[in-house]
Amino acid sequence: MPSLFPVNDYALIAVILGMPLLGAFVNGVWGKRLGEPAVKLMALAAIGTSFLASVVTFFALKGTVAADGEAKLVWSAWEWMHTTGGKNGVSVPIDVRFSIDQLSGVMMLIITGVGFLIHVYATSYMAKDEGYARFFAYMNLFVFSMLVLVLADSLPLLFVGWEGVGLCSYLLIGFWYQTSANAEAGKKAFIANRIGDFGLLCAMFLLVRYTGALDWHGISNGAASLLNPGEGARVHVWPLGGGQYTGLLHFLQPKSPVTISAATAVTLALLLGCTGKSAQIPLYVWLPDAMAGPTPVSALIHAATMVTAGVYLICRLSFVFVLSPFTMMVIAVVGAATALLAATIAAVQNDIKKVLAYSTVSQLGFMFLGVGVGAFTAGFFHVFTHAFFKACLFLGAGSVIHAMHARIHDGNASQDVRNMGGLRKWMPLTHWTFAAATLAIIGLPFTSGFFSKDEILYRAYVDHTVNPMPGLASRPHGGVFEPPQWLGPVLYWVAWTAATLTAFYMVRLYLLTFWGEFKGWVVGRPSMLGWPAHHGGAKGEHHEEDLSQPGYAPHESPWQMTVPLIVLATFSLGAGVLNPGFGIERQPMEHWLEPVFHAASEKAVLFGHGNDAVWAADMMWKLAAISFLAFAIGTAIAWWMYIPSRGEPARRMAEASPGLYRLVLDKWRIDELYEATVLAAVDSLAETSAWVDQAIVDGLFARLTTLLVGISGTLLRAFQNGVVHVYAAFMVAGLAAIGWFFTVPHPAATVVDAGNDDYVVTAAPGIGYAYRWDADGDGRWDHEGFEQGDTTLKLHVEPGKTMLVRLEVQNAFGLVRAKKIHVVARPQAPISSL
Amino acid sequence: MIPLEYYVALSALLFVIGGVGFLVRRNALVALMSIEVMLNAANLALVAFNRWRFEHVDARAYAGQDHTGQVFAFFVIAAEAAEVAVGLAIVLSLYRLRRTVRTDEADLLKN
Repeated sequence: MPSLFPVNDYALIAVILGMPLLGAFVNGVWGKRLGEPAVKLMALAAIGTSFLASVVTFFALKGTVAADGEAKLVWSAWEWMHTTGGKNGVSVPIDVRFSIDQLSGVMMLIITGVGFLIHVYATSYMAKDEGYARFFAYMNLFVFSMLVLVLADSLPLLFVGWEGVGLCSYLLIGFWYQTSANAEAGKKAFIANRIGDFGLLCAMFLLVRYTGALDWHGISNGAASLLNPGEGARVHVWPLGGGQYTGLLHFLQPKSPVTISAATAVTLALLLGCTGKSAQIPLYVWLPDAMAGPTPVSALIHAATMVTAGVYLICRLSFVFVLSPFTMMVIAVVGAATALLAATIAAVQNDIKKVLAYSTVSQLGFMFLGVGVGAFTAGFFHVFTHAFFKACLFLGAGSVIHAMHARIHDGNASQDVRNMGGLRKWMPLTHWTFAAATLAIIGLPFTSGFFSKDEILYRAYVDHTVNPMPGLASRPHGGVFEPPQWLGPVLYWVAWTAATLTAFYMVRLYLLTFWGEFKGWVVGRPSMLGWPAHHGGAKGEHHEEDLSQPGYAPHESPWQMTVPLIVLATFSLGAGVLNPGFGIERQPMEHWLEPVFHAASEKAVLFGHGNDAVWAADMMWKLAAISFLAFAIGTAIAWWMYIPSRGEPARRMAEASPGLYRLVLDKWRIDELYEATVLAAVDSLAETSAWVDQAIVDGLFARLTTLLVGISGTLLRAFQNGVVHVYAAFMVAGLAAIGWFFTVPHPAATVVDAGNDDYVVTAAPGIGYAYRWDADGDGRWDHEGFEQGDTTLKLHVEPGKTMLVRLEVQNAFGLVRAKKIHVVARPQAPISSL
Repeated sequence: MIPLEYYVALSALLFVIGGVGFLVRRNALVALMSIEVMLNAANLALVAFNRWRFEHVDARAYAGQDHTGQVFAFFVIAAEAAEVAVGLAIVLSLYRLRRTVRTDEADLLKN
């Protein structure tokens, strides 16, 4: 029986992709008229159907993979365009083609599954917001774009999704655009991502140039040519593009050009794109600001899905990345540095969402560290578990903010942990789910975060990336760079410190929010009537209340918000069974993703100490114990600081070194640094351009032109005196000039190269013209008389010689004019065409 | 048979008389009449050349068929008549407005 959805024409993908797009279209176009219930129905039905189709697809994929490990489900929508590339200028087809393999299958489930839960949550969280329909239109569009990103079968199509999620992120960060800070944050995210996109575009151009393909299969086939010795596989970094600096710029010319392998160039460009999207150093600054959007947006886009796109891309093109151990090292170092930097900032922030934002940056750093040391499964598994616990944390934070909003209407104050405390009494479900997710992120043994983070730390210590093509080591440009042996332990200890800080700041956040005394307002029976029972009206409406008056206790959120929390908390605790590590036989995730990463990790990723597997196995339990210490130390310090000591040590530390505290509270002033350097440079460039525009273009060119036109106008105006006879006189003069022109002959000739050093000189025709020639320029005419038909002359000129030809023309009035024509032959050696 | 040159010379003479008349006289009516003289000079040339062509070139192949020059003269006469009708109307309007038919006094449309 033929299958309804064959493997190579799996049209169910159209449903997975099409439903969210349909939802976005319906809610975007008719949302206002539909009203909240219909918008809700449309949005949930769209994502829900997409999720169901994803589950069906996932099982179909499972069946296919069981039959053939390399198989994937493919659906070609239509042909998009063609270009040429590669060494031999082969045709590179760029099709709208989607494929689902093990990696994108898991991502697809995360996006639609977590996306659906967050949509359910948002139906209640966003209730009574003016932009309800707009919100769900954007959210559905985001899910569509994200699905395009992960299901795309080629880099250009992935780029479409990549830009789509960037756009939706921008729209949703600035969702409450009436406040200019929100709009600014959206702009910042968009521009930081553009810088990354520049890298991604460059990588695509390089891939077309060197591998002659842009789809995964083709890149994988041509990847070897990125490292092959020879003319093509080196990219000139300086001088850029391989030119030469001469003349005044000669001092810029290096003795020998600086080149890197094409693999390094491609992967570094890709990495730039990934750092933009996944908020890594140096482009991480947009993510904390992105918390200006509604909390479900932070949960879906800026925690669970979009920001992991960079990790996904590295995993997807793992076989390209391993070709450059240098880039792998850069990824790992960037990841570890980001993890530590963001964790330090998170440790002192007071805004609940800011802490979670820096925590996300830090966790993304862990993922980068994982894929950077070649542990693609571990890095991706952290994407998977992080999607659950970070979404749960954000939604929990949203639930808390929702409760705080009952009486505190200022956005910043309602998110400040210093106004919270003791909430576990009134919000039990939020409290327990938040606690579960916190335990997962800080790595309590046997929760999902423990397994994923521990695996990354372990692999950072023992793994060592090497040149996957050892045969190329003895090339004239020097061998392929390989990271030093001491890098692994250094990365481990940096990540270990970050993990300790993670435990500290997450427990601190949890304790400040849910334990201790409630500090938001005085809880009691409201003494006066008239304050709204719920935050009525629009979000932007600020009617501050007197918080010293007693008010109702903060309330638990409705079921639409708590059910997703419970589901996500369950997964946060339990998802670790999918990839527990520790040499256990049953590793479903690793086994599942093995075909995807096999090609990459087989040769390029070895154990340290010369691939010593016994040593690595020996280190496993030791390192696991040390990693557990990170959890224990961080948690213990936070507990001691905020429960028995009620935050006293934290206060004292802040007072002891106020400068350092301010510095960290101000996020190490990285934003200010960028403002002073990059932004200032761009600004001064803009100011210079504005000056050039105003002074030179407007001042000189525009005004000079105006002046010239003005002067000639003034002069010509004198002739325009309104008297018809004067005009007539000019006309007569003009006609006389034309008459004279026609009375006199005008000799002219063109020289055409006829090949074999033969040239043909052709005289221009005219009424009644007759010609005579002097072909050798010796002063004697070839024929003494003029002849009408004698218009052409054939010549033979030796290379490098010049020949003088004279021509005389006589017209019907008998007037004669002469012309000298030089016929120059070409130089002997032709200049080769470049 | 009068040679072609005579006609052409007469035509050129008439054209110069018309042109000089147009340039030196300031009376709008005289200017119009000068234009008539120039146009008729052109007509004379057209007709004369057509006849010359008929005798020297076309007689062989298209005997008696080519009257382009003559026909063109008629068109010139028709255009001339239209031009005079419009021109006289303008002169009349000018006279009503300014009480004069001197062209150098009708110079509002300047600079």
